[in-house]
Amino acid sequence: MFGGRLQTALLVAGYFVYLLVGAAVFQALERTAEKQEKMAAAQMKEAFLQNFTQLTVAEMEQFMKNLIEAIQNGVYPIGNESQFEESNWDFSNSFFFAGTVVSTIGYGTLHPKTAGGQIFCVFFALFGIPLNIVFLHRVGKMLSLLCKKLGKFLYEKGMRKKKIKFLTLLFFLATGILVFLCLPSVFFQITEGWSYSEGIYFAFITLSTIGFGDYVVGKQSDRKYFSYYRVLVAIWILFGLAWIALLFNLLTTVLEDTEKIIVKDLQQIGKVSKDSVGSQRRRCWPVQFIPEEEPLPPRAGGDAMKMESLTADSERTKNEKKVFSNSKTIAIMSREFNSSLENC
Amino acid sequence: MLQSLAGSSCVRLVEQHRSAWCFALLVLGYLLYLVFGAVVFSSVELPYEDLLRQELGKLKQRFLEEHACLSEQQLEQFLVRVLEASNYGVSVLSNASGNWNWDFTSSLFFASTVLSTTGYGHTVPLSDGGKAFCIIYSVIGIPFTLLFLTAVVQRIIVYVTRRPVLYFHIRWGFSKQVVAIIHAMVLGFITVSCFFLIPAAIFSVLEDDWNFLESFYFCFISLSTIGLGDYVPGEGYNQKFRELYKIGITCYLLMGLIAMLVVLETFCELHELKKFRKLFYVKKDKEEDQVHIMEHDQLSFSSISDQAASMKDDQKANEPFVNSQSPTSNDSSLNN
Repeated sequence: MFGGRLQTALLVAGYFVYLLVGAAVFQALERTAEKQEKMAAAQMKEAFLQNFTQLTVAEMEQFMKNLIEAIQNGVYPIGNESQFEESNWDFSNSFFFAGTVVSTIGYGTLHPKTAGGQIFCVFFALFGIPLNIVFLHRVGKMLSLLCKKLGKFLYEKGMRKKKIKFLTLLFFLATGILVFLCLPSVFFQITEGWSYSEGIYFAFITLSTIGFGDYVVGKQSDRKYFSYYRVLVAIWILFGLAWIALLFNLLTTVLEDTEKIIVKDLQQIGKVSKDSVGSQRRRCWPVQFIPEEEPLPPRAGGDAMKMESLTADSERTKNEKKVFSNSKTIAIMSREFNSSLENC
Repeated sequence: MLQSLAGSSCVRLVEQHRSAWCFALLVLGYLLYLVFGAVVFSSVELPYEDLLRQELGKLKQRFLEEHACLSEQQLEQFLVRVLEASNYGVSVLSNASGNWNWDFTSSLFFASTVLSTTGYGHTVPLSDGGKAFCIIYSVIGIPFTLLFLTAVVQRIIVYVTRRPVLYFHIRWGFSKQVVAIIHAMVLGFITVSCFFLIPAAIFSVLEDDWNFLESFYFCFISLSTIGLGDYVPGEGYNQKFRELYKIGITCYLLMGLIAMLVVLETFCELHELKKFRKLFYVKKDKEEDQVHIMEHDQLSFSSISDQAASMKDDQKANEPFVNSQSPTSNDSSLNN
């Protein structure tokens, strides 16, 4: 119980420290850029008003306010009448919007303005988000199937299990980053004219579902996009979302294990004098941490891991524990890959 | 990020082979749902947008007519620059100069929206360094957030759901299903009123041009982490106590997210939902007979096994923080 509370407290404290540190760094990085942007905008306004002295400041401000409101409603006032033929809410744009709502990306370049649209959006998301979660989970399973097949293939070649797990994990990471981050960025360089780093930034912000909306595909009015461009992008987003969800789960478990190590070390430091009692407590831990609530498939794998943990713990040296935890991390995270191996 | 959380807590990773037709149905249903949404959004929003475009065209025409010295091209150039700045959250209007986007509390608010993957977009990193840091910060921070949320939710669930349900089940003798359902409803109702209705009322008072519906819409869009960014609190002109307000909103968003997850987890633990979801998740290859026999076992010994499960649950929950696998796994292990 004590260990659990310490862990949770550490986690909560660590999280808030992380937020504060992030805030400070963002502030340091962005403040100067924002100042420059503001000065440039003010100077430009000055210069404009000086050129056209008949304009009063008040009129200008009112006009700009109206314009900015229109922009926020998604209506872009640049250009001539012919652009009024296209709409932000034609079917394909609405489909894209529905997709961003349901996947919780939410760019915000397009958003419902009418009360009816907003109410419908709430209900649409209420049912759409769980549907999306279920759907993406299945897609994620399909992706991890590939890794499983690779694992099986390697196993048949006679490689050791630990090595297989490590390799399949590496394969998962490397191909994912290549296919979902690097290649699309190159693609966007061509179609959108962004730089490579902007493409990576866009890819990551979209796939993590943060979705600021500062970069959006297919929204530049002066570019010609080939048909089915957005369909391709939608497919990419779909698979990328599933992959990133798997990736985040992986990283979460890595973090979790790191945190457990830290807490154990803290406790060991604190309880150097009470060795006998402490060691008994420590013996309990790994057994509980071996999830009895393992998912069905890796049942055999779970047993194997239990054996591993018990033997490892009987040694009870710090280094061994660390090595074990690391391999356990990899083992836990590739439990899906493990299952087919165990069944062989 | 909701998919990562739901994936680890509610969803059981099971093996494949069956329910291929269920998956096809799922894909079809998903696409149809998107199409349905597109049609409705289009038909609701298009007329309004049409109106707005016409108004804007007239406004521009009138402005150019009133000030004949201004050529259209010059105006367009000016507008492009203004709008670019506006996209980055920098307003060129004079009475908005007091609002900085990157003071400490606003940065804190920004960091929390990034980590919760809400991402309003009212403020975006302008510099290259900011963008790069944003990526690195999220790669570490989002799993950290997942871990944090799972840990907190697991601990809260014990006190909020499992203990009360067990208590009422033993005290009043109703079946666990009934108690669980009633409890889930009550919890859902309380959460909705505490985290949606009351904050919506507060926002509609604090923000100048938000009515109740818009505030409620904001609360929903934020807590579901969609984060469109059409409504962002604390960005009004001359907002009083802006710093405190921003911190308050950050806390509200975090707590709201935790509350939503607690409710989600509670609902996922209901047996009915579990059965429904099993349709879509692939099952291990079992003999038909075995499946039937086990279900019969479940029915006859359900209350006893449930009690045993919940006792075990409580034991587990009181012990050191375990893996984020959901407690529903207990039931699945019993099923085996």
